[in-house]
Amino acid sequence: MPEFEHDQVRSRNEAFAELIPSRIWRETPSASNPYLATAAQCHGYDLMDLMQHCRFVEVFYLLFRGELPSEPQAQLLEQLMIALINPGPRHPATRAAMNAGIGKTEAAHILPIGLGVLGGAARQVEEAMRFMRRALKTPIDEQLQKLSAAVSADSPEDWLTASAFESTPGFGRHYGDCDLLTQKLATQLSQLPAAGEVLAWGESFARALQPLSAGWLPAGLAAAVFCDLGFQPRVGASLFQLLSAPGLAAQGVEMSNKPITAMPFVKDEDYVIER
Amino acid sequence: MSSSADNTEIQQEVQAFLDGRRQRIVSRTGGWFPGKGVFSHGYSMLDELVGEKSYFQILILNATGRLVERPLADWVEAVYGCLSWPDPRIWCNQIGALAGSARASVVAGTALGVLATDARSYGVLPLIEGVGFIQQALKKHQSGLTAEDILQEATSARGGKPYIVGYIRPIAKGDERLVVMEKIAKKLQIPVGPHLTLAYEIEKLLLEKYQEGMNINGYVSAVLSDQGFSAQEIYQMFACLVASGVTACYLDTFKQPPESFLPLRCEDIDYQGTASRPLPDFILARQ
Repeated sequence: MPEFEHDQVRSRNEAFAELIPSRIWRETPSASNPYLATAAQCHGYDLMDLMQHCRFVEVFYLLFRGELPSEPQAQLLEQLMIALINPGPRHPATRAAMNAGIGKTEAAHILPIGLGVLGGAARQVEEAMRFMRRALKTPIDEQLQKLSAAVSADSPEDWLTASAFESTPGFGRHYGDCDLLTQKLATQLSQLPAAGEVLAWGESFARALQPLSAGWLPAGLAAAVFCDLGFQPRVGASLFQLLSAPGLAAQGVEMSNKPITAMPFVKDEDYVIER
Repeated sequence: MSSSADNTEIQQEVQAFLDGRRQRIVSRTGGWFPGKGVFSHGYSMLDELVGEKSYFQILILNATGRLVERPLADWVEAVYGCLSWPDPRIWCNQIGALAGSARASVVAGTALGVLATDARSYGVLPLIEGVGFIQQALKKHQSGLTAEDILQEATSARGGKPYIVGYIRPIAKGDERLVVMEKIAKKLQIPVGPHLTLAYEIEKLLLEKYQEGMNINGYVSAVLSDQGFSAQEIYQMFACLVASGVTACYLDTFKQPPESFLPLRCEDIDYQGTASRPLPDFILARQ
């Protein structure tokens, strides 16, 4: 091995902040113990006032956007929250939470486990938000032309692998087909007063994808609503996880008082090692 | 809505494919068959691996499908050692320390610290870009570009700044782990291949032009590229790279009084948001 002279190790002495900055939350210290808060404000509004006068969905919007939503905006977000409240017991994230539950995993870990697995779809939300904001400016035909690889798949494995279309994040196939339930949810949401140009574009694009047996994916639908409500793409993954968290927790905890035999365990004869 | 008629045939095949996997696992890795054994990538774990091969040989096998020789596994183990510092100022370690202070479990604290290293600015995720850089660089070098050309191209693509993954490091200049790892590599007779040779050439130029050197990412990326691993395989191999340091930081705070790790007074948050304000009329009017 040749001897190599590396750089001398030394601190960069970068100027780090003295305090943690935040534009979201302000706490009023107690006069007797400055570590205790006696009041809290969210973007300038007193927490007690918010509790008395606002709905949860409004304060949720306020946290991320800095302003309270109009009634139509709150309605759109609240309906999306209901639409995505449970990925359902067949979703891998829910099944991960259920596996934690049935295995008697520490109860506090059930939700993080489900949310971690949901990260696979959640990370698509940010990409989908960026994609749709760009795509609004280009004709749908141009987007379709990029999908030729997905169309030409000729084996079931290729067809499934191409389910999440790389060039159109948020759109694709679910179990090899158009996701019918997500399409229904999108149609309902797109008829609400606060639905904007991104949801409308997504609806048009999803229709154009039908000949490919593809359409909206949940991440795309969430992304479109988040765009129309003015959320930034970088919060997309977290918002998607938050909206799906209730179902993951409920389904996971549902398993936590059942015997380990209450869920399937694949038989040895049904376990195949393919080399 | 219905599926396009043109796709009916493939969709029927897809459903048959999926049906063939209901309540049936098809693994390309291995599994446990009670009474028969446990298998990983064609090896009987209890007969050929456990007690016969080191834990890091098994770890690399599970992460990449390759059973490497003991010296390389020992070298990878040493890399893990280099990333197991019990300093809670490092972001992933601080998550462990906060978990200990907040009385979360040690498994949660460690796992969450590991999760944090899937990060763009430090940790394990940048290995993908670090390996990608040196593997692309070698291809360019072999097609005629000099190390200087490669550096010029890389810095031009980054606005003239030498922000190349695998070189430069946050907090400090230089990387004390390189010398240690080079000594270990020499002792274990890990060869210097073309990727590492080029990585050193690039470092030499960076030092001359920008006074910046290679970091542990760049060194690991180059050595393991010379061993024939892909970027994804190297990322997989180091999935839990920082776990031990996070555990150490967790225990440090867990053994001290709760809420006493870097406690914050209310005034320690620099509030930069909207001033106090009453709720808007449209909210108050609906009551």
